[in-house]
Amino acid sequence: MRSAPLRSGEPRLRLVFPSETSFLGLVRDVSRKMAEGAGFDASTASRIALAVDEAATNVLEHAYHGAPDRLVEIRYRDDGLDFEVDVCDAGDRVDPRDVPKVDLRQYANERRTGGLGVHLMGKIMDRVTFRRSRGRNVCCLVKRRPTPMAAS
Amino acid sequence: MSELLVETRQVEEITLIYPRGYINAHTVRLFEGEIQKALQQNRFKIVVNCAGLAYIASAGLGAIMGAIEEIRGNGGDLRLSELNETVRNIFEILGFNHLYRIFPSEVEAIMSFRGEGTAA
Repeated sequence: MRSAPLRSGEPRLRLVFPSETSFLGLVRDVSRKMAEGAGFDASTASRIALAVDEAATNVLEHAYHGAPDRLVEIRYRDDGLDFEVDVCDAGDRVDPRDVPKVDLRQYANERRTGGLGVHLMGKIMDRVTFRRSRGRNVCCLVKRRPTPMAAS
Repeated sequence: MSELLVETRQVEEITLIYPRGYINAHTVRLFEGEIQKALQQNRFKIVVNCAGLAYIASAGLGAIMGAIEEIRGNGGDLRLSELNETVRNIFEILGFNHLYRIFPSEVEAIMSFRGEGTAA
């Protein structure tokens, strides 16, 4: 148990889990709770949880190629303006530029099923960035917090 | 408790699929398997009743997209009914509502096939 208060910019929560799809339900539930705690309504919180689920799924499939013995770290931050979620892995470098833009009609015609996750993340979040830092992939998902109601 | 249960039943030439729970990368094989079973039985008129579906990630949407060409190529269709607000919202975000026919009720989805006669 920590004895010092959270410093500015420090994650409110770190979630580290094995690279198994069976943990994706936990990721979804924790992400939804964290988003609700940050002030998002239930509907928006569910969509944010989906975006985090998609980012974690990408890690399992593309960075770790289905290996179940690696670790995924998710960090949740709330700086008062933005709700930020970092999804980190130590797998293969993943370049989001490799992910083709989604054209749904073309998808249906070509029987393609991949790439939808990145597309969804971009539609749900205000900002999605990918970077390589200290040998790790970091997918950063940012959602602007709802404007607070005027103080009564 | 399992994250997803999928039941299937037949009403004449129409296959009704009932996913209950959460479809994500962990559970999608179960959902995909039920669609594939219908196709293997040459049943190409499918209604996915989403009344019990709490959540669908891109893996589930991909399962639908991966089957739709074969379904429509055989004169059938995959139609959806009773989406809750969360699931409907995800469909709309991706524009799936323009690619798939979505009905408020299962009965309306079934009737939409019947109105088309034998060639869906």
